[in-house]
Amino acid sequence: MTTLPPVPMTRPKLTSLARQKLPCSPRRIPRSQLIKEKGDIDHYVEVNFKGLSKEEVAAYRNSYKKSICVDMLRDGFHKSFTELFALMEKWDALREAARLRSLLWLQRPLEEQPDKLDHFYYYLTRAEVAERKGFFEDVYNNLYALACYFNNSEDKWVRNHFYERCFQIAQLIKIDGGKKEAEAHGHMGLLFEEDGQLLEAAEHYEAFHQLTQGRVWKDETGRFLNLLACESLLRTYRLLSDKMLENKEYKQAISILIKASEIAKEGNDKKMEGEAAYYLGLAHLAAGHYETALTVLNAYGKISTDLDDDLSLGRAYEAIARVLQSQGEMTEAINYLKKVVNISQNNFQWLDVVRASTMLGDIYNKKGYYNKASEYFQQAFDTTAELTNIPLMDETKVHYGIAKAHQMMQTVSNYIESADLASLDYLLSWKESRSDIALDPVVGDSRRPTMESLYQTSEHLEEELNGFPDNVKDET
Amino acid sequence: MNVIYPLAVPKGRRLCCEVCEASAERVCTACTVTYYCGVVHQRADWRSIHEKICQLLIPLRTSMPFYNSEEERQHGLHQLQQRQKHLIEFCYTVAQKYLFEGKHEDAVPAALHSLRFRMNVHGLSSVELVPAYLLLAEASLVCFIFHLCRQDSSILCLLQKKTIPKISGLGRIVQAEEYLSQAQWTVLKSTECSYATHSLLHRNLGLLCMAKENYEEARYHLANDIYFASCAFGTEDIRTSGGYFHLANIFYGLNKLDLADTLYTKVSEIWNKYLNDHYQVLSQARIQQVDLLGKRFEADTGLDEAQEAEAIQILTSVLNIRESTSDKAPRKTIFVLKILVMLYYLMMNYSKAQEYAMRAFNLAKEQQLSDHEQNTIQELLNLILAEEGYPII
Repeated sequence: MTTLPPVPMTRPKLTSLARQKLPCSPRRIPRSQLIKEKGDIDHYVEVNFKGLSKEEVAAYRNSYKKSICVDMLRDGFHKSFTELFALMEKWDALREAARLRSLLWLQRPLEEQPDKLDHFYYYLTRAEVAERKGFFEDVYNNLYALACYFNNSEDKWVRNHFYERCFQIAQLIKIDGGKKEAEAHGHMGLLFEEDGQLLEAAEHYEAFHQLTQGRVWKDETGRFLNLLACESLLRTYRLLSDKMLENKEYKQAISILIKASEIAKEGNDKKMEGEAAYYLGLAHLAAGHYETALTVLNAYGKISTDLDDDLSLGRAYEAIARVLQSQGEMTEAINYLKKVVNISQNNFQWLDVVRASTMLGDIYNKKGYYNKASEYFQQAFDTTAELTNIPLMDETKVHYGIAKAHQMMQTVSNYIESADLASLDYLLSWKESRSDIALDPVVGDSRRPTMESLYQTSEHLEEELNGFPDNVKDET
Repeated sequence: MNVIYPLAVPKGRRLCCEVCEASAERVCTACTVTYYCGVVHQRADWRSIHEKICQLLIPLRTSMPFYNSEEERQHGLHQLQQRQKHLIEFCYTVAQKYLFEGKHEDAVPAALHSLRFRMNVHGLSSVELVPAYLLLAEASLVCFIFHLCRQDSSILCLLQKKTIPKISGLGRIVQAEEYLSQAQWTVLKSTECSYATHSLLHRNLGLLCMAKENYEEARYHLANDIYFASCAFGTEDIRTSGGYFHLANIFYGLNKLDLADTLYTKVSEIWNKYLNDHYQVLSQARIQQVDLLGKRFEADTGLDEAQEAEAIQILTSVLNIRESTSDKAPRKTIFVLKILVMLYYLMMNYSKAQEYAMRAFNLAKEQQLSDHEQNTIQELLNLILAEEGYPII
């Protein structure tokens, strides 16, 4: 009997490897052998089965955040890692704080936002490579890209962090004549401005302005950087001066605004110059320097006429009127205000119409021309009614009511003073018909016809005043 | 009578060597419960740990006495547990201490004991076993690396060499890998495991891969190490610096010098910050209470022995590398020298501190660095010289 040769079995390598390790295998395998086999099996699995390499397994097991960090570190990007790690810690801390404040918080954890992590990885590592080679411009660009990416309300603080980093880097860039530095100053200014630290913001904007002076740099949207600097600086100065005016530090406010208008003049932008003049005029007005205010505001008016800018012209006239009013030159003021009303009406600036009419009404009211006053107040009121601006409507309503009441008071008192029967009759009939509200008879000979009309208007008035009876009663 | 005859032992009972688990031929006469395969192992165990725990082993390895009541039985069991736990800690610390002192051979038996008691108390798959595994792996690994280092006199040579010399240390690598695989498996199975343990595991795995010249994987493990250490201690902690240092070594070996350079800088900065803080605290205290009872202030690094040893090793290696490129960047060399000076000063090793300070000073003079820099070094030097006036009793 011949023994058959053993069947040539072709086993895949993995099974043959595994077979050797089966518990029934006769010989005891030394440990070093086992470890070597383990390496072989690992290698075999890695080569022959897609998605089973150690790293891929790790990618499934670990959070995306960890994978990103490990990827950074294994390629030696330790600075990126440190930065990302610090940001993530802060992120968690902020989330925690938000959670303590309210049960409902919207900020998702960073692990669940792989897009953001990818961006971090991409830009931070590129920045680090550039930094290692000393290409600070590239570093700046990458960091700036990150700042732009996080430019939304939710991640403001991340953006701010990268603006600060950009600022540090920008100071190392010398080749471009300071363009990047200027930009970084601009961003820092914005940062401080948003934070409400106006003095610091102004400092950065000043540097920004100084660096861009006389340069023709443009930003990515094609605007001149210098112009941008002027605008931001003026805005900051204005906010600063507003604060000072609130605290009655007129001198400082005016000096800042003078600086602002000088900068505006250098900026070669008429509109900006006009703006600066306007605010300077207002500051002078608040400080009580009426003459200076007038000259400044006149200059503003002139600029506006040159530019054919009716809106600012209206504003100029309004401000001038206010100065004149404070000076007591009412007729002049009235003239200007009438111009304002006209201009605004032509440009459909209803709010301006309301304001100007109210001022006009006020002036007339003070001077005792109640008819005129109520006429303008009525105009204001009608305009607000059209605008359906409730708070403003209420306000003008009150003004209108006061003027109307003043108007009527004269006649009523006339009746009372005349003390004859006819007048008494009128008064009585008025009282009977209108228990709540004063109703207006008219003086003198032409009583009848005017009475009719007044009845009508007062009816009209009463309807309007229904919502507001208390105030009106008090005033009358 | 040290010798026993395996054939004379009752059937079914196998006596194993304490160190290698082969069948035993000798017994310790002091406790009579510990067996060895030969004189070599007995001696090794005695030197390492047995001398200290010989008598403590007796109650653990003899059967419990007969207790009359359940209460007593419970009490006896509890006592036994306590003893084992005590021994776990004791052996672990002893092993650690040997490791710091560089006596890797001695550390192994002690660590093995710790591991064995841990298995008894916590079971085979407990996370508690991991520290012991790591310690054993470290002992084997460090032993191997030191073996090479002694041959090449610098850790760098290990990394630059393309072929690992086939020496006896290679067996150690297998050993280390075995322990590490055990540790990794245990960690993998357990759900809760501290970041610090993860970090330690990955660092050892990284070192293992480095020893096997598998730099790709070594980088992966070291990256993990840094990540976990950062989670546990923060990115700027001295306990994280080790990961950075090894990673830097890999890049240095791969000849990516700029990368290695930034990493070495990072390591030096971490240590500088830490030591400088301690140094400042010390000098503050000195200024505030000068002449008060002529009291001398304890210099304190705030580090334990292992960390001190690690600090010295890391910083001297960085110094070697910096010195090799000293012409280009003397500032970096001086920076490392200053850190070393502070370290030795705080460790109250004034002669070493003075040596390094002199080196820094001379280098600064040679390279004509700014006055400010020279002055700070001069200051340090003066301080150390003043300290040496009062030798430590």
